[in-house]
Amino acid sequence: MNTAASSWEPSVKIPEFETRDLKRKSIAVAVAGNPNSGKSTLINGIAGTRLHVGNWPGVTVEKKEAVFEYRGRRIRLVDLPGTYSLSPYTQEEIISRDYLVREKPDVIVNVVDATNLERNLYLTVQLMELGIPVVMALNIFDEAEKKGYRIDTKAIEDMLGIAVVPTVATRKIGLDDLLKRAISFAEESPLRLPKHLIYGADAEAASRQIEDHLRKDHPSVAAAYPLRWLALKMMEGDSRVMEETGLDEGGLLGETLNHLRAAHEEDIESLMADARYAQASGLTREVMIRPAIRKMEITEKIDRIVLNRFLGIPIFLAAMWLVFKFTFDVSTPFADWIDAMTTGPFRRWAVAAMGFIHAPAWTASLVTDGIIAGVGFVLVFVPVIFAMMFFITFLEGSGYMARAAFVMDRAMHAIGLHGKSFIPMLLGFGCNVPAVYATRVLENPRDKALTSLLIPLMSCGARLPVYVVFIGAFFAAHAGTVLWSLYVMGIALAVLMGIMFKRTLFKGESPMFIMELPPYRMPSFRSLMIHTWEKGKHFLIKAGTYILAVSVLVWFLLNLPWGVQNKKDSYLGKAGQVIAPVLEPLGFGNWEAASSLVSGLIAKEIVVGTMGEIYAHKAKEDKKEQPSPTDDFREIGTSFLAASKKSVSNIFSTFGISSLSAQQDDESAGLKPVLRKTFTPLSAYAFIVFVLLYMPCVIVAIAMRQEFGTWKWFGIAFTYQMALAWSVAFVIYQGGKLIGIGG
Amino acid sequence: MMKLSMLKCGERAKIARIGAIGPLKRRLMDMGVLVGEEVTMGKVAPLGDPIEINVKNYSLSLRKKEAEDISVEVVE
Ligand SMILES: Nc1nc2c(ncn2[C@@H]2O[C@H](COP(=O)(O)OP(=O)(O)OP(=O)(O)O)[C@@H](O)[C@H]2O)c(=O)[nH]1
Ligand SMILES: [Mg+2]
Repeated sequence: MNTAASSWEPSVKIPEFETRDLKRKSIAVAVAGNPNSGKSTLINGIAGTRLHVGNWPGVTVEKKEAVFEYRGRRIRLVDLPGTYSLSPYTQEEIISRDYLVREKPDVIVNVVDATNLERNLYLTVQLMELGIPVVMALNIFDEAEKKGYRIDTKAIEDMLGIAVVPTVATRKIGLDDLLKRAISFAEESPLRLPKHLIYGADAEAASRQIEDHLRKDHPSVAAAYPLRWLALKMMEGDSRVMEETGLDEGGLLGETLNHLRAAHEEDIESLMADARYAQASGLTREVMIRPAIRKMEITEKIDRIVLNRFLGIPIFLAAMWLVFKFTFDVSTPFADWIDAMTTGPFRRWAVAAMGFIHAPAWTASLVTDGIIAGVGFVLVFVPVIFAMMFFITFLEGSGYMARAAFVMDRAMHAIGLHGKSFIPMLLGFGCNVPAVYATRVLENPRDKALTSLLIPLMSCGARLPVYVVFIGAFFAAHAGTVLWSLYVMGIALAVLMGIMFKRTLFKGESPMFIMELPPYRMPSFRSLMIHTWEKGKHFLIKAGTYILAVSVLVWFLLNLPWGVQNKKDSYLGKAGQVIAPVLEPLGFGNWEAASSLVSGLIAKEIVVGTMGEIYAHKAKEDKKEQPSPTDDFREIGTSFLAASKKSVSNIFSTFGISSLSAQQDDESAGLKPVLRKTFTPLSAYAFIVFVLLYMPCVIVAIAMRQEFGTWKWFGIAFTYQMALAWSVAFVIYQGGKLIGIGG
Repeated sequence: MMKLSMLKCGERAKIARIGAIGPLKRRLMDMGVLVGEEVTMGKVAPLGDPIEINVKNYSLSLRKKEAEDISVEVVE
């Protein structure tokens, strides 16, 4: 570890912390830096699990904050989104600068990737313009040293007028030092402001003129902003600043700007960027020594293979297949276990408890079939969401995610998507819910929205039971082909809809693909855990409450009016009767089919269960002997162990794709003869196609709502999918009749 | 002078002109793609687009369309 930081002595003798300036007991620390420089790891190293995740006002980008006490002070750490600059073009940049300019934190901790000093300093230089003390965390210092870089931290301090602390966030090295320096800089604020970067004589003159002008003629604007920053932004022609301040380019301001523009061929923006980079590269040259001979780096070696013209795509597909298999194979046994627990022992205990307190039958049913089933429903998703978040975090953290996007962008771009969209789409085949959450890998709101709209066309696992029952009843001889046709149809329609959306809803320039390909890095276990937990926590808390509420609602729908004997008279049955005529042209216009489809709103596999209930009048009661509570406990323990074992063994038996026959259980066996009476092969095919395409399930709806902060995108998905499902089923059924198949 | 996207793998060049305007130009500048900067052509994605360039000692990927308005001069 470099000792430059510890040998640093404050130039002014500072009295002990506790005795000074009690007005400043609360200190706001903004943590800013390039993407992937280690901000989150660093904050987590300082504040531990006190991190609070919310959303920035008005946008759904995550806001992470940690508040804690330190030596009698209240410290508030705010994790700003990673940015390369403070221009007003991306959501992340706007959030960062709005926070820095409006909330005026007491100190900025600038996390810098020491292995990539020059590009990181470009942001540092901009942060220095805000009139706030800056403390630099020279992070990933371990790797820089390993590469043989020698960085003179003292020189950076002297040249920029900021504090510099070498850190290794992953191993918590230097963090305490960093915090102390940040606090002292915050408390000695006016003395600790960074130096000004000089932009050249005429730019400086213009800046001074604008500052004077603002101070004199617009004192309220001048007081609300860091003045020099404001002047520089106006010179750059920053539209957002002009809009916000309500100033126009008339009068003195315009004169100054025009004068400067004329001198620089209109391009002040480049002039400023050049000046900042000149500063950054000049500084880098002065303070850093790189070894003369550069080894071929491991990243280059890996990229030779991974981005190879011939191997690139096969490797990518293999990696995706592994992620998919791991996500679903590792999580399924646990999901099954949770499912078995909530429908088994927990349900039995609840029934017993309800009986014990003599609860009326409808309350008992609400608790067991509504609430407990609802909780179970939420919990069943937990393993898969966490497993997926884990693998995605790994892909991101290792640096492969950017390569995946690089390899796939051409193909995805053709349907209006981003290279990274491939991953959420692929996960959609397992379950659409984690897939929607996986759109988080996309930074741009437009890419996120379009990807989410297409995800439901990826045939998820929950649709399989429906296909299986119908294929078993009607197409047993061609099971594979029919099943395959459904998946392919989903993909083909996604391509089609993608192109259509690109031309209509998402017209205009598609977002840029200018993206860093970061060096490969083995993510630390700690940071994997932190990020997985942060991503998954969201689902647990927010989506959990929603889903619970919805499943209670659905319970009411299914069971009210209380005590109906014939399902036809329940609200669900009535809804089915209303909808049935609409489905007539598709070949299944009866209330039974319609009601089943409505119940598929909760999850598509429920379609089969509802059909079973309606058609076969199957008795639902458990006739098994009631096990004792101790048996229950034993069952919970042993089955959890079994689930863990299964999960591990699944990793090794990667070809464990569940065969079709395994999916067929007794429940659906009795259903087949009834189905053969009500459906023809043609209408059966139209029906499963309809199930493939019609509306996303309610949990997908909630996931979309949560990710976008509005129901808008779900509304659009719902509408287009209904239209699509109806039209495609219509074409199949009527077309089939026309050419004389099935009839 | 030639287009950046026409460089061969491993070829080094100096950026002579950036024709892009607005957000694209700003983004390029923010990522270190400036007039006078030296870049090395890296890999081309298997499907022919995007491309990878090395600038300021790090790897940057961009679509050919985004690199279209960047003119370069090859350096030996
Ligand atoms: N070797 C090393 N790796 C580090 C260090 N700090 C962070 N990392 C790794 O760098 C990667 C990125 O860290 P994050 O904390 O996610 O970075 P971030 O700045 O929050 O990234 P964004 O939120 O995407 O802007 C992780 O894989 C970390 O394990 C460090 O000091 N040394
Ligand atoms: Mg982060």
